[in-house]
Amino acid sequence: MDGAALEKLETQVSVRTIPGPVETSGAMVKLLTCGSVDDGKSTLIGRLLWDAAGVTDDQRAAIMHASHSRAVNGERIDFSLLLDGLVAEREQGITIDIAWRYFETRRRRFVIIDSPGHEQYTRNMATGASHADIAILLIDARHGVKRQTRRHAAICDLVGIKKVILAVNKMDQIDWSEARYRAIDADFRALAANFGFTEIATIPVAALTGANVVARSAEMPWYSGPTLFEYLDSVDPRAEPQDAPFRMPVQLVLRASDDFRGYAGTVTSGAIRIGDRVVDARSGLSATLRRIATMDGDQPTAKKGEAVTLVLDTDLDISRGAVLSEVKRRPVNADVMEARLVWLSEQSFDPEAGYLLRTATDLTPVTSMSVSALVDFETLKSTPAHDCGVNDIADCRILLGRATALDLFRDLPLTGNFVLVSAIDGATVAGGVVTWVQTGAAAVGDNVLVLNRARLAGLCADLGDSPADRAEFERRAQEVAILLRSAGVPVLIETDQ
Amino acid sequence: MTALTSHLKLLEAESIHIFREAAAQFRAPVLLYSIGKDSTVLLHLARKAFWPAKPPFPVLHVDTTWKFREMIAFRDRTAKAFGLDLIVHTNHDGLARGMNPFDHPPSVYTDIMKTQALRQALDTGGFDAAFGGARRDEEASRAKERIFSFRAAGHRWDPRLQRPEMWQLLNGRLAKGETVRIFPLSNWTEGDVWRYITLEKLEVVPLYFADLRPVVERNGQFIMVDDERMRLEPGETPQMRKVRFRTLGCYPLTAAIESEADDLDTVVTETLAARVSERAGRLIDHDQAGAMEMKKREGYF
Repeated sequence: MDGAALEKLETQVSVRTIPGPVETSGAMVKLLTCGSVDDGKSTLIGRLLWDAAGVTDDQRAAIMHASHSRAVNGERIDFSLLLDGLVAEREQGITIDIAWRYFETRRRRFVIIDSPGHEQYTRNMATGASHADIAILLIDARHGVKRQTRRHAAICDLVGIKKVILAVNKMDQIDWSEARYRAIDADFRALAANFGFTEIATIPVAALTGANVVARSAEMPWYSGPTLFEYLDSVDPRAEPQDAPFRMPVQLVLRASDDFRGYAGTVTSGAIRIGDRVVDARSGLSATLRRIATMDGDQPTAKKGEAVTLVLDTDLDISRGAVLSEVKRRPVNADVMEARLVWLSEQSFDPEAGYLLRTATDLTPVTSMSVSALVDFETLKSTPAHDCGVNDIADCRILLGRATALDLFRDLPLTGNFVLVSAIDGATVAGGVVTWVQTGAAAVGDNVLVLNRARLAGLCADLGDSPADRAEFERRAQEVAILLRSAGVPVLIETDQ
Repeated sequence: MTALTSHLKLLEAESIHIFREAAAQFRAPVLLYSIGKDSTVLLHLARKAFWPAKPPFPVLHVDTTWKFREMIAFRDRTAKAFGLDLIVHTNHDGLARGMNPFDHPPSVYTDIMKTQALRQALDTGGFDAAFGGARRDEEASRAKERIFSFRAAGHRWDPRLQRPEMWQLLNGRLAKGETVRIFPLSNWTEGDVWRYITLEKLEVVPLYFADLRPVVERNGQFIMVDDERMRLEPGETPQMRKVRFRTLGCYPLTAAIESEADDLDTVVTETLAARVSERAGRLIDHDQAGAMEMKKREGYF
């Protein structure tokens, strides 16, 4: 099919698109809905899908049928049934896990991530938020900002969302009061001063009646801004600086019969061109880019978001976990870091438990970790603390068993984020962002046991000096470190690379 | 270079990223290949992810013995063309017990010939991870899936206890007895799959294109009489209609739609303009409320 035919297809997808200037940026917008329970998230998105696009006739019929059998909203259609797809959710009338929905206008693809409002399911909300470009934060106009509203705003900020739509919902329940709307808007802007949002748009809506969702409301003549749908269809979701430094975390080393050796990965920032120098920050080794190989043929350049395979002019002897970067602006090869994280596990932070740090493609043992502060969801200020439990946002300091390539999240999100993994059962216990890093600061104190070749000579008597043997040493040392740490012994791994 | 539009490029890169993470993190992955359009795209993306090397895992087809004949021919052609390590598994115990889609309710038949068969094949092969072509836009419980979807011992899915999955970071560390299902096409829609097939010029099973086929009409749906095992109701005579399929499964349980769309361009146009969701033609999904979620809890992919 030629380009013109494709364009024709893409423009005929939705007949109900509101006319406006054609947007060239942002082919895909990922949108989170969040806010406290019962503020109407699923209903709002159900309404948006129902009115704008994305609901097929058989789904409409099933929803109409289910609405009548449940009659939660009296005579009305229960739009939340479009999203609450689990049996338990439908039975209890709540959202447990995030739901993903997709629809297109003639300008762009929307990915909608509907998240649960219950505090109990905050881990699922955090999962959803981390994938979003823009958040719709719902507030029930009758109740205003709640504790859970502040928690969700703080999580949106933590995971890097820069643009927030404050949807003041259930305006029909407060007689479409402009004064009330303005008060809530002012409240939210005051608390948002704690965060790094670059754009806040406040829109008064009534999800049940559809007011200002897709159709403009006749009841609120005092509001002259865009409807929710108008705003979404024209917003530029991107918040990335131009000229970001090149990064590509190595996922795999690909080898093929004809002497082919390539580093496979997805470019997480910047761009690279044949002939550019690249460096592995962990080893400090550099090489020149010879080929960018894909099954569709070689490319002259690769940029952020592309999954490629890089072939270098010299063999750097690097493996999964390395981050290939430009030479001048490279990541820090860090073994100590400070971070802000959201704790996701029902089991609270335990300084003596074994944790692993999963960054872009690396998995590094944590030597020691301490919590310094928690975010107070009443004031949104940090308060000193040493413990943290499920749904908390904490500031912490982490010492790593060996150095790994890290950036600051605020500069390069995809090489500055991480999840913390339980070394025992593999569970993801926290998700966080790097706020500060340093090399070589994990100074070996008297009470830190160093695991090196000499100390593990017996265990590793069968190992030589080949790359495979060195990797095997590191693996064994990490396993020993996990055991020792779970017994409360601080450990550092020293590799001879 | 291909002519993918920007959002398809993003989807393609995301899928390749997922394949590579899985290959790096799991000991013994396998690709579940069901021969349909989604599997076709899945396989193509797997080849791209590891090129110029071959995908480092075998391909598994769970054969109920009731698939369309054209599907089996296509499967064998594909395996040969790409040099795939193809494993075909059938639940012979179920066959021996006379299991078939006529005498048993779709939910029972599907459980034994698909879900249990899949569990047998995964256990026999010792696979710790299985790629599937499921998409979140297919069905309400699938809309809730993670990309790495963890299954407790016995392959059970507990939708209330899904592992958090933040940013692009995929944590594949397994606890004892756990396995994982991996869905690289999670964020693709039916329209995306067809547009991608068109732009990448992928071959699909001819059943997706309208042609004159022998069908019977039941409850307003057309069922194709693919071989002599088809049981006709009293008074039913197969008639030739111009039909095509939006999804492919076991022929007695998969409804065709009347259509004139006989090439990729017209199929894409029809798909994007469709007012009925694709799984409306899957009889097994309508057997009971929450049918897909129940199947998934039992280990259906």
